[in-house]
Amino acid sequence: MSTIQHYAAPRSLEEAADLLRQGNVTVLAGGTDLMPQSKAGKLKFQPVLMNIRNVEGLRGLTETGGVLRIGATTTITDLYDSDLVKSRLAALWQACDHFASDQIRNAGTIGGNICNASPAGDTLVPLLVLNARVVLAAKPNGALTQRVVPLREFFVGPGKVRREPSELVAAVEIDMPPPGFVSAFFKFGTRPALDISTISIGFGAVYEGGKLRDVRVAFGAVAPTPIRAPHVEAALEGKPLNEETIVAACDAAGQDARPISDVRASDWYRREMVRNMLERMLNNVRNG
Amino acid sequence: MAVKEAVKDTEAKTAADGGTLIGKRIPKMDAPMKASGKTRYIHDINLPGQLHAKILRSARVHARIKKIDTSKAKALPGVHAVITAADVPNQHPIGVAKDHLPLKTDRVRSLRDEIAAVAADSVEIAEEALKLIEVEYEDLPILSDPRDSLKANAPLIHPEPHGADGTHDHLKQGMPIAYTGKKDNIAMTFDYAQGDMAQGKAESDIIVEDCFSLHYVTHCCMGVSGVIAEFDSSGNLLLYSNTQVPFLHRREFADLLGIDPGRIRIIQPPIGGGFGSKLDIYPFEPIAIYLARITKRPVKLVFSREEEFVASPTRQPVLLRLRSGCKKDGTLTFREVDTIHDNGAYTSWGATTPFVMMQTISSLYRVPHCSYHTKAVYTNNPYAGSFRGYGNLQATFAVEAHMDRMAEAVGMDPLAFRLKNAQEPGEVTPQGMNFKSCGFKDCLTTAAEHGDYERKHRDNATKWNDPNPIKRGVGMASMLHVGGGAKIYQSDGCGTILKIDDFAHVTLITGASEIGQGSETVLSQLVCEELGLPLSAVTVVNNDTDITPWDVGVHASRTTFIAGNSAIGAARKAKSKILGMAAAKFDTTAEALDLRGGFVIDKASGKRLVDLSKMIRSLHFSDKAELVMTTFYYEPPSRHQDREFKGDVSAAYAWASQVIEVEVDTKTGIVKIVKVSAAHDVGRVLNRLGIEGQVEGGIVMGQGYALTEDLMVENGTIRNPNFRDYKLVTAPEIPEMDISFIESMDGEGPQGAKGVGEAPAICVAAAVANAIYNATGVRMTELPFTPERVYRALHGKAAPMTWSDAE
Repeated sequence: MSTIQHYAAPRSLEEAADLLRQGNVTVLAGGTDLMPQSKAGKLKFQPVLMNIRNVEGLRGLTETGGVLRIGATTTITDLYDSDLVKSRLAALWQACDHFASDQIRNAGTIGGNICNASPAGDTLVPLLVLNARVVLAAKPNGALTQRVVPLREFFVGPGKVRREPSELVAAVEIDMPPPGFVSAFFKFGTRPALDISTISIGFGAVYEGGKLRDVRVAFGAVAPTPIRAPHVEAALEGKPLNEETIVAACDAAGQDARPISDVRASDWYRREMVRNMLERMLNNVRNG
Repeated sequence: MAVKEAVKDTEAKTAADGGTLIGKRIPKMDAPMKASGKTRYIHDINLPGQLHAKILRSARVHARIKKIDTSKAKALPGVHAVITAADVPNQHPIGVAKDHLPLKTDRVRSLRDEIAAVAADSVEIAEEALKLIEVEYEDLPILSDPRDSLKANAPLIHPEPHGADGTHDHLKQGMPIAYTGKKDNIAMTFDYAQGDMAQGKAESDIIVEDCFSLHYVTHCCMGVSGVIAEFDSSGNLLLYSNTQVPFLHRREFADLLGIDPGRIRIIQPPIGGGFGSKLDIYPFEPIAIYLARITKRPVKLVFSREEEFVASPTRQPVLLRLRSGCKKDGTLTFREVDTIHDNGAYTSWGATTPFVMMQTISSLYRVPHCSYHTKAVYTNNPYAGSFRGYGNLQATFAVEAHMDRMAEAVGMDPLAFRLKNAQEPGEVTPQGMNFKSCGFKDCLTTAAEHGDYERKHRDNATKWNDPNPIKRGVGMASMLHVGGGAKIYQSDGCGTILKIDDFAHVTLITGASEIGQGSETVLSQLVCEELGLPLSAVTVVNNDTDITPWDVGVHASRTTFIAGNSAIGAARKAKSKILGMAAAKFDTTAEALDLRGGFVIDKASGKRLVDLSKMIRSLHFSDKAELVMTTFYYEPPSRHQDREFKGDVSAAYAWASQVIEVEVDTKTGIVKIVKVSAAHDVGRVLNRLGIEGQVEGGIVMGQGYALTEDLMVENGTIRNPNFRDYKLVTAPEIPEMDISFIESMDGEGPQGAKGVGEAPAICVAAAVANAIYNATGVRMTELPFTPERVYRALHGKAAPMTWSDAE
């Protein structure tokens, strides 16, 4: 039986932050993770259920001075439909394309995907590649404050993030990538739709004159959180993208990926897939 | 009305022109209601005063129950009854071997085992009450591999006698296993032989042996299991039930309650899919009945999706060894099969799949000498029921993968090797099956031609060592299945009552259940064909045992054939009655008249004599006041198997060949089906739209069996009881399909048709296995072909099953 005693649907960030400060709040956005988890008994509702979908200014994309701000309740469909995302943030757009199903994309939000902190979360891998920052709002002393945390430092473990109970994820910020930046996302699952990643890979770099720089590589579903792959990045940074570099990068992937065996795949197979699919992605970049 | 309008547009013109409805594309009569969300399933039915029931299942895989305390659950407000085995002292064992008590007494044998049940004012209260029931267990060793169950000194799963009252009292000779226990873990055995195996082996130039391992999958009906039970004040039972076999269930529930079957009425709401899952009685049904009896209220029990995964039947998992021989020219000489069926903790229909498996082994091809042995072995795993194809997906997977291996060993093209050994019309097999119509060779050559099989098969095999990691392959497989009913019970018949009213509107009252397969539409079509009426002139009544005549149930691809013949029989009786009356009126003979386009016509000239409804109305006021009402019962001319499993169980047999083209990504192990070229001998196409749907749906179900669906059972526990981790095929994965129908015009079939319901799912896994081999040179013997399993095999990291483990 439900333990929810109050339902709140604030219209402003101020109001939402006030409610959070009073404590015992479960935050509801798209509900695509929250509801199945509560039904499965994995999540217990707090006495207050706060729906943030009506909070003004929390949904949508705005670019100012080379910084893109994506509001927390921006849906996956919103991102997928954005020309800006499609043309300049290819990895993020591809992740939205492979995200669950139309129905879930219409409801699921980017803030929810981040707070759910699944090691396999589809948007998290490209957001790591894009050096995204999480903007947290709170009202500790009667005034609205903001705290910005690099996404890379935000994840603690499966389902665990560095968000205080009194804070609300208000937005994600991305510095728009430099000219010549190419990026790609690869999701490996057993079927093209409605699947949880067995592994996923995000790649981004400036590729000019046959060489890579500003290389960023991230992996999903190979560690307790989505991770950046520093060894792979080091193997690629400043190198010509040739056979030798690709082999070295794939070898390095073994040092970054720390997968487990579960119902979807064995750790051995996940390592093999990280290697094989990274090779395939780098070859795709190389072949344009 | 919307249904009739939609149908009317499609074929009104045809009927008005006096043309035929057979072979036309006719939308299903129930489609508009279902598509618009207006169909009322059992979930939508709520009776006044109804209580909601939930079942407490075991928390242990195998354990003794030391103590059950229901006092806290009983004290919860809103709870009306909490029952355990102790509250139902005279439980009746259920299931195929009568080894299963609905509420468990002193022992649980699997995680689906029912320990207690609650009836409460709401589902939420019932669920809360379950949490308050305290059960004390003492763990017993778990048997999760049937090979372990067969070992000497293995713990017994049904050991000592235990009466329903928990004592050894009242046990009589010949009582069910549920009471008497069993001295080993073997639930059932099947042994079949034909010819002389020694001679067959002596005549063989080549002998090939293979082992195969077949997994658990489950039906995944969109509508989960459910029942509503209600007793009236005289103790008569009314059940709203999703069963596929209402008349058999009536008898079983009567035994269970010790009352006359006539006092039980079963109404079937529209059923959200069956596929064989609803052919047996499961504990939840008696439990709902017990709760209704105790509370004197209607009790509704509907599964959650998780419960559906955990506590509904599966497809039978099988370990199988197959050895066959042939001569240098490819003529098959002998076939020898051993299987171990994991029976789970209790015996349902899965254990009896050898009935069908041995038919494929002995009779798909001409094999003079055969032996077949199955042991169905108790474990603490889930138990299998019947599932579309009934053992034939398993047998065909083995036989058809093995046929490719043999063709290679003897140096023949797989198609030529199959054609050499394929059955032909008129053959009577050593097992006794009589193939009066048989389009097998046409199926083989048609599928091969549409799939460009021979050329692609040759070319693909030369590219195994190409640098391109994406490989293409084609594979073929064929099947034989009952297509004219199946004489499993004493009778395989079906009754029809047909009424024509004053407006020439037909009410077709049939015993045949509709489970989404399209029987209402095809039966209406067959009746209209006889009476020269449009489909909109028919209403079908098919869901109430107090109204409809007897039928054995929806299974074995039998409904079009059996119920169709019965409906035609009733329509012909009505027709002869009408024409007799018209002949008197027009002073001619009945033979000179016919019914077409809603009129009585002169057969020779085609001239319309009178509107049918007008003629029937005129009879209303005649001195005889004739009402047109006929009854007809059809029993097919099939023959039971004898004690040696020899017989001709079906009035007709269906055939099919499928050529499947795959793409294998050797860097991931992902196998993608690109195209299916299917050729099915269906006797005759009745409703083209309906049969295309059946074949397409069946192929997708076979695709899931081959590639993605896997109910993972580890130590008796299902690891993926949800649609996130149990992977059904989704729309983007569905391949191009090129479907051909071979119309062999069966002499006994309704308008020449044979059954098709199960056939399309049967060939897929074998054809895919053969295609993977053709693409990569690697032979898959263990289902399903998930990316990791294929990748391991491609990299030599799979350990293929060997039979020595099983001996």
